[in-house]
Parts: sequence; C-alpha cells; structure tokens
Amino acid sequence: MSDRRRLIACFAFLTLILLCPLPSHAYAGPGAGFAVLSSFWTLFVAFLYSVYAFFVWPFRQLFRILRRRKAYGKAQIKRAVILGFDGMDPELTERFIAQGRLPNLAKLRGQGTFRKLRTTYPAISPVAWSTFMTGVNPGKHNIYDFLARDLGSYLPYLSSAEIKGPKRTWKIGKYTIPLGGPRIKGMRRGTPFWHWLGEAGIFCSVLRVPVTFPPEKFSGVLLSGMCVPDLKGSQGTFCFCTTRASGDKFREGGVRVAIERVGARYASYIPGPEDPLAGGSGQELRVHFEIYPDPGKNQARFSVDSETFHLKVGEYSDWIPVKFKAGVGFSAHGICRFYLKEISPELEIYVTPVNIDPGRPDLPISHPVTYSIYLAKLFGPYATLGLAEDTWALNEKVLDDEAFLAQCYGNHEDRERMLFDALEKTQQGLCACVFDTTDRVQHMFWRYLEEDHPAARGVPRDQRPTVIQDLYARMDELIGRVMKEIDEQTLLMIVSDHGFKSFARCVNLNAWLHQNGYLALKPGKTESGDWFEDVDWPCTRAYTMGLNGLYLNLKGREREGIVEPGAEAESLKDELRRKLDGLVDPESGRAGITGVFDCDAVYAGPYVDNAPDLIVGYGDGFRASWDSVMGKVTTQVFEDNLKAWSGDHCIDPRLVPGVLFCNHKISEEKPAIVDVAPTILKLFGLALPRHLDGRPWTVRISTGTSAEPYPAS
Amino acid sequence: MAWLPSVPMGSLGINVPSGIVAGVSLVIGLLMVIVFGYTSDQGAIRIAKDRLKAHLLALRLFQDQIHVVLRSYGRIVLATGHYLRLAFKPLLFVIVPMTFLIVQLDRYLGSVPLSAGQTFLLKARMDNPDVLNETSLKLPDGVITTAPAVHVPTEDEVVWRVVANKEGDYVVNVQVADQLFAKRITVASGLPRLSSVRLRGKFWERIFRSAEPALPENKFVEAIDVQYPSRDIEFLGFEWNWIWLFFVLSLAAGFLFKSILGIEI
Repeated sequence: MSDRRRLIACFAFLTLILLCPLPSHAYAGPGAGFAVLSSFWTLFVAFLYSVYAFFVWPFRQLFRILRRRKAYGKAQIKRAVILGFDGMDPELTERFIAQGRLPNLAKLRGQGTFRKLRTTYPAISPVAWSTFMTGVNPGKHNIYDFLARDLGSYLPYLSSAEIKGPKRTWKIGKYTIPLGGPRIKGMRRGTPFWHWLGEAGIFCSVLRVPVTFPPEKFSGVLLSGMCVPDLKGSQGTFCFCTTRASGDKFREGGVRVAIERVGARYASYIPGPEDPLAGGSGQELRVHFEIYPDPGKNQARFSVDSETFHLKVGEYSDWIPVKFKAGVGFSAHGICRFYLKEISPELEIYVTPVNIDPGRPDLPISHPVTYSIYLAKLFGPYATLGLAEDTWALNEKVLDDEAFLAQCYGNHEDRERMLFDALEKTQQGLCACVFDTTDRVQHMFWRYLEEDHPAARGVPRDQRPTVIQDLYARMDELIGRVMKEIDEQTLLMIVSDHGFKSFARCVNLNAWLHQNGYLALKPGKTESGDWFEDVDWPCTRAYTMGLNGLYLNLKGREREGIVEPGAEAESLKDELRRKLDGLVDPESGRAGITGVFDCDAVYAGPYVDNAPDLIVGYGDGFRASWDSVMGKVTTQVFEDNLKAWSGDHCIDPRLVPGVLFCNHKISEEKPAIVDVAPTILKLFGLALPRHLDGRPWTVRISTGTSAEPYPAS
Repeated sequence: MAWLPSVPMGSLGINVPSGIVAGVSLVIGLLMVIVFGYTSDQGAIRIAKDRLKAHLLALRLFQDQIHVVLRSYGRIVLATGHYLRLAFKPLLFVIVPMTFLIVQLDRYLGSVPLSAGQTFLLKARMDNPDVLNETSLKLPDGVITTAPAVHVPTEDEVVWRVVANKEGDYVVNVQVADQLFAKRITVASGLPRLSSVRLRGKFWERIFRSAEPALPENKFVEAIDVQYPSRDIEFLGFEWNWIWLFFVLSLAAGFLFKSILGIEI
C-alpha cells in the first residue's frame, strides 16, 4: 500500500472511531479524560461565576449606594492613570525633549502640563513614594530612609517592614517546628489614597508602588514593589558560583559559592532562607544544581530540581522555580534566573537573588493574594523582589553592563505587560504603576553621561554607550502607547519621586565627625569597621548611618547617649548645621554639602521622634560614602566614587526635584509630590481627609467638563 | 484478536474482575500519562492551562467590573478551545491502541457467560424474508431448545429460546436450505472471552463487536446473536459497569502519576 493510501486508511479509521464510537470508545485514556473533564469543569465554573457576577452586580451597586458609596457622583474624571518613573530627572527630560528624543512627553507638555515636582526631605524613593501615596510628610508616615536604627544596639534595620518568625514553635529534640507562618509588620503609617477611593467604590489597580509591602487590604488590586524581600529575607542577595578560588567576600548584596567538579559534571548550590526547623541556628537551606559544560559549543546544560535547560555564555535563563526543602511539609518556593558568565578556562555562573514565587507566594506580595498568582498565570513568572535590578552585582563586577541592562529591561517588559493588563481591567477608577528601571539604570550608567566621572575615566568618549538617552526614549515610547489607550476623560499623570545628579565624590560624614571631635573611637583605633564596631559611644555626640540622616547620641534615647535633650541638643544641632553647611571638598573646591535641615523644621507629625535629628543635603556630584552609609569610620572625608553606581539623588532635595507631566492643564506653579494624593481625591470628587499635608491642584479638564461631574456609572 | 487467554475465576474470595480492572487501570494510567508527556507540547499546555486559570481568577478579582467578567468568560471559552486543541495531538497517538484494548477487555469484562440451565435467546438475522421458513437450528449434545422458533418478518429474524444443561464451549449451527452457519456459545462460571455476535461483512463493526470469523458472504445469514447478560463489577460497595470503573480508576492513576512524573495534562 502506498504511503498516501496508508495515510488515508489511517485517517479514515481514526475518523470512524471518533465519529462513530461505541460508548466504550469515547474514552481514550486519562490524558484525554483529564483534558475533557477539566475543560468542561472550567467552562462550567466560569459560566456559573459569570452568571452569578452578572446577576449580583446590580445588587452590589445598590448596596454601595445604600452605604453612601456614591462612586463617581462628583468625579471630574472617570479614570486616573498615574505612571511613576522612579528618578526621572526634569533637566535631562527637558534636554532630551529639546533634542527631539521624547516626542510623546513633548506632546504632553504641549497639550497639558510639565512642571518640576518638589520632592521630600530626604529625596529617597521609599520616603518620597510614601509621601506620594499618603499625602503626608514623613513625620506622619514614619519612613525616613531605607534603614532605621535600633536605639539599643545602634544597628540598622529595614525601615519599611519587619519580618519575624512565627509566634509559637514546638521544639522536638534538635528540631523546632514552627506553628504558623512568619509575622510581617508594615512600618509605614498613613493611609494610601487608593484606600479612600476604594471606600468610595472607585476601583484601583496599583502596581509596584514602593513601600506597599506588606500589602494592605483595600477595594482593588495591588502588587507590592520596592521593599519586598527575597526568599532569604534580604533586599536582594545574588549568588556567584565560580571555580575560581577566592577568599574575597562581597561587601554586600551577594555571596560567593564554590563550584565543585564531580567527574565530567560540576555541582554547586544556591543558598536559601534559614532552615525553619533549625530553631534559629542560622543554618541555611540550599538548592543544589548541576552543570554539564560543553566548551566546544560555548554552552552548558543545567539541571536544577526537575528543570533542565541550556545556556550559552552571556545568556540568561528564564525564571527557574526552586524549592528549598526543610522537611516534610516545610518548603519555601522561589524563582531565580541563571546567567552563564564564563565557561572556560573557569566556570562562572551568576544567579539572581531568589525571588518569592509569585505563583506560589510564601509571603503575601499582593492584595488580594491571588492577584500575584493571576499575573503569574497570565504572563508567567516575574521578578517580585523590591529591588529586582541587581545593582550590587554590577557594582561588584559580577555582571557587566550588557548583562545588567538585559536584566533591567527583562523586568521592565514584564511590568509593561502588567500595566497594559491593568489599564484594560480598569476602565474606570485608578490605575497607578511605578517603573523603577529609570532609577536603576541612571544609578549605574550616569558615569557615561558625564565628561569626567571617576568611574568612567579611561573610557573614550566615542565608546561610551548612550544608555540613559536610550532609557528616556524607551520610557517615552511606553508613554506614547499608554496615551493611545486612554480617552479625554482619563487623567494621565507622569510623576517621578526625585531627579538625578552625578555621584562622583563620596563624603564620609562619620570621618568628618570623628576628625571634628563629635564621634570618638575606642582607644588606639583610627578607623572603625562596619556598623560602628569601634566607636566609643560614651564619648560620641553625633553619628550618621543610612543615606542622609545625622543623629545626635541623645541621652535617654540612645542606649549610651550623652547629649542632654533640650538646650544642649539644640545647640549641638546648630553647631553641626553651621559647620557642615557649605563644607568644601578640598580637591574639587566645590561644596560637598549645600544644606543641613533640622527635622523639627521639615517634619511634623506623631512619628517625628523616629526621624534623624538632621537631614544632610549633599551638593551636586556628592553623596554619602559607601562606608559612611554602613556606619564605618575612615580617615578620609572626601574620596572618588569608582563604582558603577555613579549617579544618585540622595542629596540636597532642592537639587533633585522630580517631574510632573499631565495631559490636562495644572495651574499650580510649584507642585510637590505630597500634593498628588489630595489632587486625585479631589478629581474623583472625594472630601479630603483633614490630616493631609498636600494641597490639591486645580486641574482644568480639557474636555470642558471641569465644572460638571463625570456622570455616575 | 484472541490474544488474551481465558481467565479462570479465582476461588480465593477475591473479586477477580475488579482486580483486573484496577490493575489494568493502574498500568494504563501510567502508560498513557507517559505517552501524553512525550507526544504533547508540554510547554504550550502549561501556558494554556495557566492562562485559563488566570482568566478564572480574573472573574473573581474584577467581579465588580462587569465588562471584565464578560470578556474573561469569552477568553475562557477561547482558551479552553486552545487547550483542547493541544490535548488532541496526544489523543491521536493513544486512541488506536486504547480502542483495541478497550474492545478486547470488553470481551472479557463486558458480559457474564451463560450458566448451566439458564435459558437464553439466539437470534439469526437473514438478508431475505423468504428464507425464514427454511431456517432451522442444529444443536450439539447438551443444548436444547425450550420453545418453538419465533419468526419476526419485520426484522427478518428467527429467534430461538435455548438452554445448555452443563458448562462448556458449544457450537450451534443455523441451517438455511442446505447451508450451515456456526455460532460459538459459552456456558461457564469463570471469566471467559465472549463473542455475542457473529457477523457477515461489516468489517469495522466486526472489529468492535465480534470475536468470531465473518459469516460467509452472500449466503442468507447476516448475523447470529446470543444475548449474554451484562456484567456488573462490585467495587467499593457499588455495582459498576467495567468501563466506568476503568474510567474512574485510570483517571485516578493518571492523576497520581502525572504528579509523580511532573507531566502536565
């Protein structure tokens, strides 16, 4: 029989079986059984739920009205879309608009508004975005920096959230069985404006706004952003697996793990969270993986749990699920990406920090918890870590520029997809999304933008990539796509929390305090290790840690405080302000510090006691040194910044305003980020809570309906 | 097709048919899951299922947005179609062996053999009503008719009520004119292979229904049919048709093995 006839015969036979089956032939194994059953079940459940939603919807609306949730009753707009671009700088934006690189922002400026947006004191993302969402100054939302200090130990802790072990445990021999999940406490105070909108029945989709971890309940969906930890509980710890022998440790942000040769293959592991059964002994869980290099093809095969994949040198894997097993019933689910850095003569692999698996979150990273799962099912796994772009790995030269950028834009594309889904789902209400690619890329590539940055000396001008120019163009293109999705009754607002400046020179304020007699070291010491290791506290009057905060060693507040509150403290603050304001860098002759601000003057609210006593505003080109941030005392006050992290904003807030673009006219000449929340509430016709510090802007809705409310839905 | 030997009924108090169904279901569940894993696009199926789940979650997450609910339902229908399309390819690989397997198993498990002393009907369907009066039955020793033949002209059938006095494999012959047409009859207490009908022509129907050679072409008799009682299998306190029990148990086995083997269905 010819092939053709055989094919026809087979086809005829199959058709016969499929079309004329006896009852017993309808079933063709469990695969088909599952497919048919689950499909039927899915359709059935979906149909039931759709019918339920359809019939219940009017009653829910009625219920809302009865509860005085008159959504949109006095609204001037039907939808507000807020795109946050962390660190988008107004001066660069203007420059690039003038160069014709940003046509969509130019259009927005032409038809609506462009202003510099005053930022917070200090100009740090968690502080500024907290103010953005709550409409209050830091004295009312309690976030002053990434870090806060423990008054007893002078050690830092994360200012935005506290994660502790379970409340109760059960000890059996050497094992400790946790009875319950970890306890997570948000440290940010104040109420985000989307809570008020939700109360009024206005639906909100909020994506990746910083300091929204742990997610709070409200009427809408939210995916947490900056400050979400990795699976280890840190703000991002990468893993660098290498066959190269090295005793060096990374300063922070990463761990070095040896790759062992086992016959023809290589083996290594990813360090994970602490074993919950080990009773706080610090013993870490690990996921082991194997590598089968093929130097001839310049690639390697990886085997991680049940996943197998191939990577060429210079290539990232997809997100790979990893499961850290502590014992029966105890496991932590994460995802990470592998990057094959080198295959010969040595084998080197970079592994991203292990992100919380959004499809199986062990910690809540969204509200409701199913929202992160929904996004993972719709788009696949995505980065959940707050600071997902691994700046430390580039700083430590584990990643090169291209690999870092690939990581940044990979994450960015995921977030773009989420944004457009949220836009589709939120035809009425609020859609707010923050992109932090702008911040990370500017931090790491500012060196190429500047003529003589210490971190880029030796790189010829014609070989410097136009990364930041491309970044702004890319964001502009995104804004253009969003503009196509919205109508005239939608308010589009582009905001950034702060701008950007060069970070060419480091200022070790602890060194200055030491040299000027405010900070004392233990006898015989000329320097101190991290976190004030060798500081003589009983003889110390002031110290600094974190990015901009300067603290007095206040008696009755700090454990070993010596400065009397009241007149002595005020006098010391005045003295420090006088001496530090205008502090000149002897090498460049420029002012390293252009302003020192008293917290009593810039903050007001119930949490002012937690604030630093002084906020140090560094000058353009300067920032707190890497050592100073970590509570280290060195001998040099000023030094070059040679790291890839070459741009910054943790300086005098007056020098780094953010941007405000709007598709409608805003009359306010000097808007501030604290005004965004009250403005949005007002545009949706809601009464402003009295405790807000921001003042709403007058927005002229260009459809000519500003005087008339948007018709209630 | 007689590749399965007759299986004697056990005398150890074990329900042999349910044991056979359970064993076959377990093996088939495993094999079919493996085949599904190898012949399907696992990545595409995983994505399709995830999308389905996402649209289902959207119904819940955005329940106040009626346009989202309706759109999600539409997407669920489309995604289900896409998922079924992906599941169809492995179906093509397994449907032929599964069909033959089920047909063969049905011959053992679908019906109960006749018991000694039990009357049953034997039907002969003719291709021509004119030969009904020329039709008679030739019975072997131990098998007798208990009533005169009944002619059903509207169906072109002759029906006899027959009984066998003792267990055994018998061959009865339907005689039309001077031609004999044989049919096997099984009177037993075990789990023999049964063939309820012998057919003329009808290749595909014979494959699915008959375990005997075809009747001669163009020779009066179209079919000879013996009505064996259908078998109910006791399992977990319920009476099951074997195909339903096989369906449930193989699904359960498939569910178990798909999890163990990490195969997406």
